[in-house]
Amino acid sequence: MVFSRSLRTFLVYAGLATLILAALYLGSRPQGIHLTRAQLLVQYTQGYPPPSRTADWRALPGRWQDIALPHAPRPHMLPGAGDAGLLPTQTTWYHFTIDPAQAAPSGAYLYIPRWKTDGELAIYVDGRLFYQTHANLQWNGSNRPLWIPLEEAAESTPPRDLLIRIRHVRGIGGALSTLWIGDYRQLAAAYYTRAFFQAELPYISSAMFLATGVFAFLVWLRSRRETLYLLYALMTVATFLRVMHAYMGADRLPVSDAWFGWITVNSVGWTILIAHLFLTALHHHHARWLTAVIAVMCLGFGGITLPLFEGTADATIVSPLMYITMVSVGTFTFIVHIVWSRRAGTMEGIGLAICGLLSFILGGRDMLLQNNIIDIESLFVSFYAQIALIIAFCQIMLSRYIRAMHAVAESNLVLASRLAEREAELNASHQKLREIERREVLFQERQRLMQDMHDGLGSSLVSTLRMVEHGHIDETDIAQLLKGCIDDLKLTIDSMEPVETDLLLLLGTLRFRLQPRLEATGIRLRWDVRDVPPLPWLDQRHSLHVLRILQEAFTNVIKHAGANEIVVTTGVRDGQVCVGIEDNGRGFDATMAAQGRGLGNQARRAEVIGGRVEFESTPRGTRFTLLLPIEGARTQPA
Amino acid sequence: MPDSASPLLKVALVEDDIAFQNSFAAAVRNSTDMQLIGMAHNVAQARRMLAGDPLDVLVVDLGLPDGSGIDVIRAAHASWPDCGIMVSTTFADEKHVIASIEAGAAGYLLKDSSAEKIADEIRALHAGGSPISPRIARQILLRFRPVEQAPQVPTAAALATATPIASPLSPREREALELITKGFSYDEIAELMLVSRNTVMTFVRRIYQKLEVTSKAEAIFEARNHGIL
Repeated sequence: MVFSRSLRTFLVYAGLATLILAALYLGSRPQGIHLTRAQLLVQYTQGYPPPSRTADWRALPGRWQDIALPHAPRPHMLPGAGDAGLLPTQTTWYHFTIDPAQAAPSGAYLYIPRWKTDGELAIYVDGRLFYQTHANLQWNGSNRPLWIPLEEAAESTPPRDLLIRIRHVRGIGGALSTLWIGDYRQLAAAYYTRAFFQAELPYISSAMFLATGVFAFLVWLRSRRETLYLLYALMTVATFLRVMHAYMGADRLPVSDAWFGWITVNSVGWTILIAHLFLTALHHHHARWLTAVIAVMCLGFGGITLPLFEGTADATIVSPLMYITMVSVGTFTFIVHIVWSRRAGTMEGIGLAICGLLSFILGGRDMLLQNNIIDIESLFVSFYAQIALIIAFCQIMLSRYIRAMHAVAESNLVLASRLAEREAELNASHQKLREIERREVLFQERQRLMQDMHDGLGSSLVSTLRMVEHGHIDETDIAQLLKGCIDDLKLTIDSMEPVETDLLLLLGTLRFRLQPRLEATGIRLRWDVRDVPPLPWLDQRHSLHVLRILQEAFTNVIKHAGANEIVVTTGVRDGQVCVGIEDNGRGFDATMAAQGRGLGNQARRAEVIGGRVEFESTPRGTRFTLLLPIEGARTQPA
Repeated sequence: MPDSASPLLKVALVEDDIAFQNSFAAAVRNSTDMQLIGMAHNVAQARRMLAGDPLDVLVVDLGLPDGSGIDVIRAAHASWPDCGIMVSTTFADEKHVIASIEAGAAGYLLKDSSAEKIADEIRALHAGGSPISPRIARQILLRFRPVEQAPQVPTAAALATATPIASPLSPREREALELITKGFSYDEIAELMLVSRNTVMTFVRRIYQKLEVTSKAEAIFEARNHGIL
């Protein structure tokens, strides 16, 4: 289902591309004067003497023969031996007589789809040198179609006589396609379409791939383990170098023929090596022997043809031999890689190897074209296979890149979910802890209240009950006892609200509760408190102890002292907060009283909260002091 | 201001506890300057009473059999704006007292007070004085805490209560409240602040009114918030 759908998509696109190409082909058919026959004259020469300024074809020595164009003599594999160290060359003259019946229109162009020469090509119009290419001897841009505007002067007459002079190594190269003469309307589409597909498209695409190679190289710089990115980058470089001879050379090159040939011819071997390593990285079938073979081939050809030393072979001259070797090795390499990729189940590898194989099969076909075996007016097509190869590379790198990004996104997701899990766990344990803490607090609070009820209210009520039962108590005393119980209860309730470290608030609360009783007994209260530092340890439990200690002190004064004034003071002494309760009553024997239950309770409670109590009794009154720590070292929570 | 010729204070009680009803009635009966006009046992009776002529002082218990005394206080404050309302309470715990003040009460009456004390409190309330405990003072100070002294991490609740109020307490009122939290009596505060006892009592009454007004404003503010939400 999926396959048929992708197949259908592929067919749609392929059909669309075919349609466009067909339209281009039909729309760019050249019109005008088509020169398909010429007269040919071949002269054997030595070296490369420049052409003369004028040339009368009739005056040229030799015998003209009639030929059909395109004219492409079959070359030899290696150049023949020259005389006296000079390269044996040949000059080939093509002569055209243009029928006056079909004179060229004004503003005409001469359009030559393909030509092959070494060095310059010279064109004579009506006996005068009219056009001459300036290029390197060997790499002279012969893959670029010629597009030569004819003279358009006031006195111009349509050309009647065309003479084309090309030169090449004897036995190698040299060819001429048919010629067209016509105006822009008739020929421009044909010329530009051919120029685009023959030279510009390879140029643009290889430059674009080089740019992606730069990107891949930068990726590799950041993560060196990903050698695929490096191989891809190298592949784009090698391909760029290889494709150069599709479009370079219309003018003189910045490097010598030898170097240019060395680079462009050897780069075929390099692409084989890189593709081999790349494919090995894809399917992990390591064939060291094959690597060695390809490497030896690359190094061998590179070394033999390196133009650094005297006596090395010229890569351009020996290119047919090199190409045959490299195409064989490359074809074999890609075939075995198809097998290995299939075994490893990597579709990418298969696709890449097929593209590579295709480029070599087409390369073989181009070799035939190069050697004038097939119609020289056709295109070199291996470039397009090379483009397909690069696209396959691109596709692989892209899918790797996208997979890596997905992996990152996925690992982020996993990370996030793991984090959420941890958080939930943490929350749960925190919840548990808080629950435990809450229970602990509840437990402590219950303990505190139970203790308080037991010591205070409970025992007071029980003793009151006993007294009532035994009948030796009057109503006023009962009321007094019950009031005491209610006061107890009120203080218990007060202690449930937090005082937030504020001792004076606690004292104020106590006063508020005791005031009615003091008023009833006619004891005057002097409130002489001063601000004291906050007591961070003063929580509910501790504040009830403080309240009970002071309540006891007040009760003692009211019950036993017979005083008419109580002074309450606060202050700081020796790093402790002290609360003083002083009466003007009759006093008591502190040593005896200390054994009493009330005083003992006070001391015990004071100890629990880290403080202590002091008594100072004289016949003129008693001074009770509660000393409290400022920092509750013992009670401070960690 | 009230002399012997002034009319008797008209007093009523809303309470379901017979014992306190009795002691309250006795306390009023024993005072020559006041008169017990009505006695309601529940919210329904109280509402019927509120339909009648306004009284001078109304004492309301919070735990009524058919509803909350808070509603009675609110209704009474609306029907009889000039009536002094007290909440009767056993412990004068801040939670109940402050809720009553927010509903419109001007003071509280401790249930275990003596007969004379009950009469005194009624008179004092009618004269414009309001009782206050250190804890209630503390609670009001916290409620009206200026925004800049808000805790470092204000909770949503703290924001809701703090935002609409730009500390309506005057510095003198604040000072008085702070002294109350430290246990000083009205007389001592008057002495410390160099004002009369009456002035201190006025402070407290005014603070109670502010508490009621702001609680109303807060209620509106919150209702609007909820309406928008």
